[in-house]
Amino acid sequence: MGKVAGIGLRSPHLAEIGRDRPATAFLEIHAENYLAGSPALQAVERLRADYAFSVHAVGLSLGSAEGLDAAHLARVAALVKRLEPAYVSDHLSWSVSGGRYFNDLLPLPYTEEALDVVVRNVVQLQDALGRQVSIENPSCYLGFAHSTLSEPEFLDALVRRSGCGLLLDVNNIVVTAHNLRLDPRAWLSGLPAAAITQYHLAGHAVNDSDGEPILIDDHGSRVGDGVWTLFEDVVRCYGVRPTLVEWDTDIPALPVLLEEAARADQVVQGVGRDAVRAA
Amino acid sequence: MPFALPDLQAAFAAHLAGEERGELIAAVIGDSIPAAARLRVYRHHVQHSLASALAATFPTVQALVGDDFFRALARAFVVRTLPCQPVLAEYGAGFADFVADHEPARTLPYLADVARLDWALNTAFHAAPAPALTPAMLAAVEAERLPSLGLRLSDGVLLVRSEFPIDRIWAASQPGASLEQVDISSGGADLLVMRRPDDAAFVPLAAGEAAFVASLDAGNPLADSAEAGLRADPSFDLSTGFARLLALGVFAAPQQ
Repeated sequence: MGKVAGIGLRSPHLAEIGRDRPATAFLEIHAENYLAGSPALQAVERLRADYAFSVHAVGLSLGSAEGLDAAHLARVAALVKRLEPAYVSDHLSWSVSGGRYFNDLLPLPYTEEALDVVVRNVVQLQDALGRQVSIENPSCYLGFAHSTLSEPEFLDALVRRSGCGLLLDVNNIVVTAHNLRLDPRAWLSGLPAAAITQYHLAGHAVNDSDGEPILIDDHGSRVGDGVWTLFEDVVRCYGVRPTLVEWDTDIPALPVLLEEAARADQVVQGVGRDAVRAA
Repeated sequence: MPFALPDLQAAFAAHLAGEERGELIAAVIGDSIPAAARLRVYRHHVQHSLASALAATFPTVQALVGDDFFRALARAFVVRTLPCQPVLAEYGAGFADFVADHEPARTLPYLADVARLDWALNTAFHAAPAPALTPAMLAAVEAERLPSLGLRLSDGVLLVRSEFPIDRIWAASQPGASLEQVDISSGGADLLVMRRPDDAAFVPLAAGEAAFVASLDAGNPLADSAEAGLRADPSFDLSTGFARLLALGVFAAPQQ
């Protein structure tokens, strides 16, 4: 089996990847870092012949009740048209209100009202891009008392009503489940398997909230043991998908990132061997 | 009455900017980690991550004032001026003016101009490449049209003018630079900031060149701008100065 794991392409590694062209299943970029048409975008374009790309947006704010920012949507659409990436995604969250951008993946109440909003915005995004996008489960630090749906129920309804794909972030499941006192394996059961397009893996931090541990999705370390274990379950349950290792703060040397991706490939191969043995 | 999503997002936005919103706290499930503490995780991340974005855009300001002072300065700016769009490389347009008015920064009178230089370098770095005016294009213009010709700086080419020696302050603030003492009363600097293949850089201009460029970029024709250069510096030589600027490729090619 070939590689399924890709890595985030971050500016400290751009020159090294351009020179050495390390083997990896795909490269992921954050859309918002490449909208200004800077020299970095030209460097990415030079890599297109050798790598598949994932354009991962963080600022479309698909959960905003006020709707999408037309100017930002047009810039993301132009980037997608220019790079023709293999994958396009953003999050089940919001980050814009009253025309102000908060640079965070803010939580939604899981209600029918919010579902209508996200469906409308995702459909508008897919229409603008002329393709399916995948929506990622966020890391949550709080839940709203008036939510009437669970997060997996909300995602399932979103997939059915908008036709979007589902990007399963395994680290975010671990973080959210810990912080909101949920069972991660229960969270995982009953997702729309056919809609799952991609997995994400990342490290998280454990912070102290007045003596209580709270997990923070900081993408600033190696993937944690609990995330690896759950990833194995995910692959066993839903099958193999392109898998991204994300690392965005305290970015390590490139070989460390590639090691993490190699470990993801090993997990996938291990599950494959188990399946062959069982058959 | 359920909390309607537009109201919830407006209340959450106010919370992120530092306001206390009781109705929001009441809507969040708390347990051994109370609702207010859970909400503070988001406020902290928003303010911290945007301050980090400013640190990336204004590295020289940060080097001059130190991490702690910069964090406080940046957070004060963030709370007042959140981004209006998600491209963080374009966030911070008002930061230099904020620094100029910020009482605790008054002891460093050159700091706002250093912020302007950082912003110009950032803008130049992220500018999309565009064709520059070449001597050959200029040679194709009929001689009698030259005096009334208007020329603009390319997108991403910016003139930063200061009464302080911000070029030497900048150089002394770079990682690994020797701790040279810069006499801040040793005269000003006019810097033309531009993009190079792999980074952004600036070149110092003589007073006449700077006045010439500033006049052109304000929309004045070549003849008037040459006079502005001479008024600023009687020794300004138009052909030498213009040739140097053309060689730097800082003027935009005429639109077809």
